[in-house]
Amino acid sequence: MSAVVKPFSVRRLPGFGAIAILTFVLLYLPIVILVFYSFNAGQSQSNFEGFSLRWYAAAFANEQVQEVSVRSLWLAAAAAGIATVLATLAALGTTRVARFPGQTMIYALINQPLMVPEVVTGIALLIFVAFLKVQTGYTGMGYLVASHTAFCIPFAYLPIRARLETLDPTLESAAADLYASPVQAFRFITLPLLVPGILAGFMLSFVISLDTVVITEFVKSAGQDTLPTYMLGQLRRVVTPEMNAIATLFLALSLVIVTAFFLLTRKRG
Amino acid sequence: MSDRPEIEIAGLGKTFGQGANAFTALQDIDLTIDTGEFFTLLGPSGCGKTTLLRLIAGFEAPTKGSLRIGGEEVAGKGPNERPVNTVFQNYALFPHMTVAQNIGFGLKMLGKPRAEVDKTTKEMLALVRMEAMADRKPSEISGGQQQRVALARALAPRPRVLLLDEPLSALDLKLRKEMQGELKRLQTETGITFVFVTHDQEEALTMSDRIAVMSAGKILQLGSPSEIYHRPSVRFVADFIGETNFLDLPVTAVESGKATVALPGGTQAEASLPDGLTPAVGDTVTTVIRPEQAQVVAPAEADMTGTLESHVFFGTDTYLHLRLPGGEPFTLRRQNTVLADEPEPGTEMPIRLTPGALRILRE
Ligand SMILES: Nc1ncnc2c1ncn2[C@@H]1O[C@H](COP(=O)(O)OP(=O)(O)O)[C@@H](O)[C@H]1O
Ligand SMILES: [Mg+2]
Repeated sequence: MSAVVKPFSVRRLPGFGAIAILTFVLLYLPIVILVFYSFNAGQSQSNFEGFSLRWYAAAFANEQVQEVSVRSLWLAAAAAGIATVLATLAALGTTRVARFPGQTMIYALINQPLMVPEVVTGIALLIFVAFLKVQTGYTGMGYLVASHTAFCIPFAYLPIRARLETLDPTLESAAADLYASPVQAFRFITLPLLVPGILAGFMLSFVISLDTVVITEFVKSAGQDTLPTYMLGQLRRVVTPEMNAIATLFLALSLVIVTAFFLLTRKRG
Repeated sequence: MSDRPEIEIAGLGKTFGQGANAFTALQDIDLTIDTGEFFTLLGPSGCGKTTLLRLIAGFEAPTKGSLRIGGEEVAGKGPNERPVNTVFQNYALFPHMTVAQNIGFGLKMLGKPRAEVDKTTKEMLALVRMEAMADRKPSEISGGQQQRVALARALAPRPRVLLLDEPLSALDLKLRKEMQGELKRLQTETGITFVFVTHDQEEALTMSDRIAVMSAGKILQLGSPSEIYHRPSVRFVADFIGETNFLDLPVTAVESGKATVALPGGTQAEASLPDGLTPAVGDTVTTVIRPEQAQVVAPAEADMTGTLESHVFFGTDTYLHLRLPGGEPFTLRRQNTVLADEPEPGTEMPIRLTPGALRILRE
């Protein structure tokens, strides 16, 4: 009975436990420290002088922080909204039809932002947008909305497409059989069943837009800082725990959205 | 059942793909289905049953031929424009709607007033005995109940024709028997024409008014269950349905509609002929006879004699596997009405064939 062969398990490799712990420490310790010092009563990042919410109060009172936060949020909402609509159409166009030549190519093209290094996209946009600004004289937020939208499309597309692929196409046949016009079949069957994927796609692209530094940094005009680029700018000066407080709030917002995303895409029992 | 045609199909064909990849799933189907009929398409997997249903429903366009429903040509009409509803093999219930919403969907799409939708939904729920489940989601009811909801959903708009694609194949045996009775009841009560697809010959025989036996994209024979069973016209049909003895026999005389053949051992026996087939005297023809249409009799009454090789007892009946003088195998099914001793292998058994049961096949 002792000759039972145990299947290979990575957990029995020497050092597995140590490496796992080290990985988690590297992942989370810096963030824990960041959050910890956001509650520091003193000025320091290394000397905790007692618990206080003064830096949160300072952050909320800071008009610049308010301005860039609002800009970040509406930019993310606009970009994610447009990207989700486009991604839904793209997903319907690439999965709800008979295979067509060039399908894989189109799939790759849609997902370009996942493959091209962000800094390359950033520089390309910088050159292109600078040219447009000179030619048109327009320097408004439109460039940022357009760039963020393009960048967000694959993040909206992937969950919508995944949802669409699990949808049984006979449901649409059944709707047509029961006298639904193609538009009605979409409205009453496909769209409602697609909603979790669409919401997930929206949230994911919202967070991506909220997060991105590189694209914004290259595309923005003067006075168009978002929260991340503002923070980056501030870090070049004195770093007070106010920055920790802003980062902690930002982190909390992202966590809420990402958690909602996972709840939506989770497979139901 | 009336004799008014509900579905008229002429020269209907369907080829998938093009060029070297072309595959003809249906060729030259001619078929008339009467109003109020329980019509079954029977055939092995891949013979084109689903394709024919999909052509009738409008999910697929024919490559050639014409298709009329209720006297009206339906070419170019989408599934939503045909007075036909389908019960899908996997039910295809809308998962985000309740049972009642599923059933009411067709009427809602037809633009019926809310009160009528609700009333008909209630009637349909009662018809399939699902009143208690009206507010459940499809994922919250059993497979048999989903089946009934799918039926109610397809019946609710009162289509001229109901198409059922192997609707019972996902159910276990007991539930399947129950649903067979249920389907038959619903068909009689509603008077709607049913076109039912199955690969199960027993299901086809017990439920249908008429059966079309299909193979490789063609209808091989069309008739009532007893015609299909007792009067097969080709080998495939005889073989696919029930158990059969095949005997190659010489023709000794031909009259209109029947012929005389010489059985092994020389006895002359009458055999029926498929329509339009007239063999010549001296031809060898393939004949069929069912195992239950041969009896063990006294030697004086025998048409031929076989030697017992083995037997299989299964309660009501015993199969006797014999060998005829020419070496042909022959199976006889004896009903165990008396407590007979089981015979020894090697016993000579005098056999009589039920008069008129012998059938010549078109080959
Ligand atoms: N869309 C299609 N494209 C190519 N071949 C098909 C298609 N649909 C069915 N076929 C082929 O047509 C034949 C008949 O299919 P089907 O009608 O589904 O058979 P059945 O329902 O009798 O099992 C099969 O060989 C199948 O592979
Ligand atoms: Mg089929």
